[in-house]
Amino acid sequence: MGWFDSRLGLSHQLLRPAPQYSINPFYWLGALATVAFVIQGVTGGIMMLYYVPSPTQAYATTQYIFQTVSYGTFLETIHLYTAYAMIMLAFMHLMRGYFVSVHKKPREVMWVTGMVMGFVTLGFGFTGYLLPWTIVSKSATDVGIGMMGALPQPVASFLTFLVVGSGSDASELLRFYDLHVFVLPAVLLVLLVVKMYMLEVHGVSAPTSGTESLTPKKKKLIPIFPDVSFYLVELAALFGSAVILISVIFPLSLSPEYSPALAGQYVAQPDWYFLWIYQILKISAFEEAGLAVALTVVTLVFVALVFLPFIDRGKTREIHRRFVYVTLGSIFVGEVAVLAAWGYLTPGVAIPNETAALVLGGTALLITLVSVVAYRVVFGGLGLFTKGKGHLKAPEPNTQPSSAPKAVPAKSAALWTSCVFVALVAAGAFFIGNSVSGVVALRLGGQGAVQSLLLSLGGLTLTVVSTLYFIYRLDLGTGAIKRRVRAFEVGWRE
Amino acid sequence: MIAEVSSPAVERMGVRIVALLLIIAAVSVFMLWSVNPVGGGSETTFALFLAVDLVSVAMVSYVERAVSREGRLSRAPLIAGCCFILFLVVAGFYLFS
Repeated sequence: MGWFDSRLGLSHQLLRPAPQYSINPFYWLGALATVAFVIQGVTGGIMMLYYVPSPTQAYATTQYIFQTVSYGTFLETIHLYTAYAMIMLAFMHLMRGYFVSVHKKPREVMWVTGMVMGFVTLGFGFTGYLLPWTIVSKSATDVGIGMMGALPQPVASFLTFLVVGSGSDASELLRFYDLHVFVLPAVLLVLLVVKMYMLEVHGVSAPTSGTESLTPKKKKLIPIFPDVSFYLVELAALFGSAVILISVIFPLSLSPEYSPALAGQYVAQPDWYFLWIYQILKISAFEEAGLAVALTVVTLVFVALVFLPFIDRGKTREIHRRFVYVTLGSIFVGEVAVLAAWGYLTPGVAIPNETAALVLGGTALLITLVSVVAYRVVFGGLGLFTKGKGHLKAPEPNTQPSSAPKAVPAKSAALWTSCVFVALVAAGAFFIGNSVSGVVALRLGGQGAVQSLLLSLGGLTLTVVSTLYFIYRLDLGTGAIKRRVRAFEVGWRE
Repeated sequence: MIAEVSSPAVERMGVRIVALLLIIAAVSVFMLWSVNPVGGGSETTFALFLAVDLVSVAMVSYVERAVSREGRLSRAPLIAGCCFILFLVVAGFYLFS
């Protein structure tokens, strides 16, 4: 190594060194997604030599790759599985970043760039799915294009024109092909360069608990070459071998060719990464006119994620002080997983409103309950109304004889807290569900919808006020609110 | 220059392991070129030897990093990697034959 280094100057530090604690796979999920992107570029480039993007030849040329080209099936399988891995790694990267608050100052723009890269990655999945022109891919893509029509008008027309063109099959396939192999890779590469530049400027994010508690060895800065580069080579090689093994165990097989006659007999189902959205759209309340409401809800979730750095403006990054955001993130992950699994198990089956409220509300309830119990057991409280380290002086020991009532045993208190939280979240889920139904009914012009909606909103307001009061009561035991009021009066003491 | 923190004994052991891994990688590359691409099961054989190559590269990288920077080699990753390579090689030769 020294020989190469002395000749090529590899250890000459052009890039910012990384801290030793970043030698951990969770810090490099984005890098692994990039490796998956590179593998897709290579395998996709080889397939481009044979593939013809025309409705009459797309399936035949794909079949030719599968059956005649040397290692064609292996190539197709690797291309598909690295695409899946890229989407999964991007999602893991997103959620890991969310939970450890990498979106906070000064990485806000980096977060937004990463989110846009995530959408481009989903775009790869959507556009690439159609290219083999199988019954599965064409039917699922038609469902996706149909959903675009339910968006607000200028957006719907623009998106439909962008992906479908004149509306013929030939135009649609060619648009998808161009987007998949030219436009989206170019956009992703530009965004990748921008994100890498920002990573170079800000460096790897510190652990949520800060670097003070780390050992000097963990804090030590190590050069990108050879230490970090070699570590990335290890991760990339292991990732590659894992994908190869999975593709050996589960080789891909080509579905029948698309034909309008066959399409009528086939239940359209998107690929797994869009199943959760598809399952939401299958809820009875969101059928027909309600589709726009459902798409608006999904869009709002994405918008909230994109602009998260400007919504979650608290300075603390410690998980034990971010109960609300950690619980919301866990609910999001749980709901996406449940919806995807549920969609996989019930293809083409409409979901009654009551079942949807029960399953989705139950999942949210369960996760909230687990979160409350975990916070109380692991961190000793929900960490609400407390400031980060160094912001507030620790409470002084009370030397006066206390007249407070005898403390409730911890187990009983935890049970009581959990039960009240379950009741409040159940009420909240019920009123949210009713409010959404009310909005949908209003759109459909249902009689008496206004009264029902007002009642639901009233109930929701009452639940929110009750929750706030409950949290206030909970926090009285820790004295944090009292300290906060005192801090308001006399100012923060460093 | 890269700072060397390893002892001579660890470094010698590292060199031996790397040499062995390079031989395994060279053999698997040779096998990749020997597989008949139109034969039945050739894709699986090809994939398995490719995986052997990748795992060898990962292990060489680990050994280099561990020896030159940490000055010690952990047994667990080496044993796990060797077992994995052994499994892949046996499966590969079984399919090849």
